[in-house]
Amino acid sequence: MSATARRAIGWTALVAGLLLYPFLDRALGLQTVHAVSDGMIYVLLALGLNIVVGYAGLLDLGYAAFFAIGAYAMGLLNSPVLGSPLYGHPWSFWLCIWLAAAMSALLGLVIGAPTLRVRGDYLAIITLGFGEIIPVAIRNLGDVTIEIGGWRPVERLNLTGGENGVNPVGRPYLPGVPFETDPVPWYFLILVIGAASVWAMSRLHDSRLGRAWMAIREDETAADCTGVNPVSTKLLAFALGASFSGFAGSIYAAKLQAITPGAFEFQVSIMLLCMVVLGGAGSLRGVVLGAMLITVFDRVVLSQTTFLVRGIGRTLGVPALAALDLTLWRWFFFGLGLVLVMLLRPQGLAGRRTSPIAPDDADEVTAMEPSPPPRVESIPGWLREQLAPGPATREAAILQVQGLTKRFGGVVALHEVDLVVPRGSIIGLIGPNGAGKTTFFNVVTGLVRPDSGRLTFEGASLVGLRPNAIVARGIARTFQSIRLFPHMTVLENVLVGEHCRLAATVAGAVLRPPSVTAEERRARERARALLAFVGLAGKADDLARNLPYGDQRRLEIARALATEPRLLLLDEPTAGMNPRETETLTNLIGLLRRELALSVLLIEHDMAVVMGISDRITVLDYGTRIAEGTPAEIQRHPRVIEAYLGTGSEQESAARTAPR
Amino acid sequence: MLQLADVHTYYGNIRALRGVSLSVERGEIVTLIGATGAGKTTTLKTILGTVRPRRGTVTFDGRRVDTLGTDRIVRLGIAQSPEGRRIFPRMSVLENLELGAFARPDRDGITADLERVFTLFPRLRERVTQKGGTLSGGEQQMLAIGRALMARPALLLLDEPSMGLSPILVETIFRIVQDINRQGTTILLVEQNARMALRVAHRGYVIQTGRIVLHDAAGELLRSDLVRKTYLGEK
Repeated sequence: MSATARRAIGWTALVAGLLLYPFLDRALGLQTVHAVSDGMIYVLLALGLNIVVGYAGLLDLGYAAFFAIGAYAMGLLNSPVLGSPLYGHPWSFWLCIWLAAAMSALLGLVIGAPTLRVRGDYLAIITLGFGEIIPVAIRNLGDVTIEIGGWRPVERLNLTGGENGVNPVGRPYLPGVPFETDPVPWYFLILVIGAASVWAMSRLHDSRLGRAWMAIREDETAADCTGVNPVSTKLLAFALGASFSGFAGSIYAAKLQAITPGAFEFQVSIMLLCMVVLGGAGSLRGVVLGAMLITVFDRVVLSQTTFLVRGIGRTLGVPALAALDLTLWRWFFFGLGLVLVMLLRPQGLAGRRTSPIAPDDADEVTAMEPSPPPRVESIPGWLREQLAPGPATREAAILQVQGLTKRFGGVVALHEVDLVVPRGSIIGLIGPNGAGKTTFFNVVTGLVRPDSGRLTFEGASLVGLRPNAIVARGIARTFQSIRLFPHMTVLENVLVGEHCRLAATVAGAVLRPPSVTAEERRARERARALLAFVGLAGKADDLARNLPYGDQRRLEIARALATEPRLLLLDEPTAGMNPRETETLTNLIGLLRRELALSVLLIEHDMAVVMGISDRITVLDYGTRIAEGTPAEIQRHPRVIEAYLGTGSEQESAARTAPR
Repeated sequence: MLQLADVHTYYGNIRALRGVSLSVERGEIVTLIGATGAGKTTTLKTILGTVRPRRGTVTFDGRRVDTLGTDRIVRLGIAQSPEGRRIFPRMSVLENLELGAFARPDRDGITADLERVFTLFPRLRERVTQKGGTLSGGEQQMLAIGRALMARPALLLLDEPSMGLSPILVETIFRIVQDINRQGTTILLVEQNARMALRVAHRGYVIQTGRIVLHDAAGELLRSDLVRKTYLGEK
């Protein structure tokens, strides 16, 4: 049987099972539809949380707050009883559910905005605080009096129902559908919304946006320097993640017909996080599985087992067993389960494998095979077209730096540095360790803001621009210590590079109109062409972290080229490479310059490379430019020899470059 | 002093070492050269016990160490300056060095060795209160070597000490490596920079895809065809 046939059968069975389940349940008299429907609400919540935690890698410990917002939005708009002027005219459930999602998304933005600068532990603590604030606020907004002087514009207003919550909440109305008496319509309502959510999320995952989230999760700085705007990307994760909890919250409120602040406490956030982690953060299948497992265990297995154990206890006459209530132990079992999963399967039940799965002897063949030398014919045609110099490129200097100064506290990292990169040239930047070379790169790429000085690229100033905006202008870089997105595939790494040249929006990514499909297909073709060009054609689907070192360096260059740069900044590209790999890479850089008129700024310690390939060289020492000139001039420059080259390497590099 | 006999080491299914045998005699500098991914770092990890060999033995001073924990092996007298330095970035230079002597009980000896490290690397004395992470690449390399020396090892493992350093610093580091050796420390040096490594070493091993393919006196290796073509970039 073919894999596709098996898949089709699997899907058919799943759909049939989901559709038939409530009737089967009724026929057998199990009465589990209620519990399963509740479980599916948690699935929906876990899916929303998965966008934030699994995709974008932002640890959120207060996600239940968004759940609360969704539930209260539904409760307040759709309840006939409360005393505020809003109430008394319950709105339709079908309208409120959208309003609730919008409210949650809006709040996601509000919460997201101040947390953008923080990551990791700090972000987690802020979300924790937020998760605590919301239930407290809801409790205390049940009796609001505002007094200004003697005037009371608002007196004893019951905005949220306080500790008692909102009761009753209106139910959805569809002609002929018994939402009041029967759990089955609820099951199907949640099933439809859940299936639509899974579908939308799987499409988001495989889109420009999904890749941006994962890139942020993997390495935010590298993502920024590859053209992904971390601010809007993270805000979108918060807003979209929150909107799912808006749906879940409003269904929850309407299904229960009553909400109290106690239902949105910290434990709920933790339980949702457990679902995501148990199933496997980032994996849709895993999150659905994790959420279902935990809720079914909680609602069905624990109570049924308690029932069973008590029965046994009574028959055997053991009072301890007869009075046992396992549901009181639920947190013990969650904790135990989580510990076991972390020990035995840290990536989650259905998480992606990250260990290398290469066959035993495959590495022997590939490791010794020298990478193919880059050829003119293999330069991707699209790159040639994109980089073809247009009419706007009259200026001779592509990058002009004047009087650039940067201090870190008392240390002057760069002092009045001048540097010009003429269009289509290769400029070497050398100097002792700690001379400020990498700081110079960081200033040009926007990671570090200069204290003073001018920085113009193609005639426009770069000062104050964010790294991703600078990438969009046409400057790409690589890093001294390779910074790929290690748990994304080789192809995905290059696709992230294309991010800033693609246009798909959230709606486009989910609905996939022809324009987006075509764009995505073109992006993949381009990425594959680039991989073939740098010699990684057969490795598109490997995880970046499993590549050998030299391949990682070349992948980083491919990713940089995918942003369609006109200026490429290479930070020690040959570090850690053997002479043969170094030669291949040097040829590649030369080829890019010759064929695509790409300008290159190169930090490099291998003198044979710098001297052989650069048109001109700038030497930094203690943040100051101590020399500038042609390679021959630099090799003879006494200050450069004293500070950097040393006496031995002159002969050495001469010996290495001399013809034999 | 150190003997590896037919060592096979795996990462999951991947065979990183496929029968490596090598020896280091007391007082020597022995270098292990090879391409990235050939198994150099894995060899050092196997010696230190951070990965276990699936087959073969590692003996140090006549005693099998491939079953011992890494901390035990360090206490027996092997210390490493790891690839990429791996210094403690938020601790001061002094704290980094003191941690190198973590396993030693002799206070006076530690003070003397601290002085010895500062004599070898005067730059570290200048920066003794600075945080490790704020040092330049070359200074971090010095700190990593200094930290390893603080364990007063009989055998020092150096993993790529020249990586990412300017030419003048590469020379300095290799000169210091020779000084350390003259003061009585045996050294196993793993390097990409085959030219410099073979210049300071007594003997050398060439490793390719997890196997030793060549082994000779350093001077002979410098003249061999394989080394000249593959590792010195000569045509």
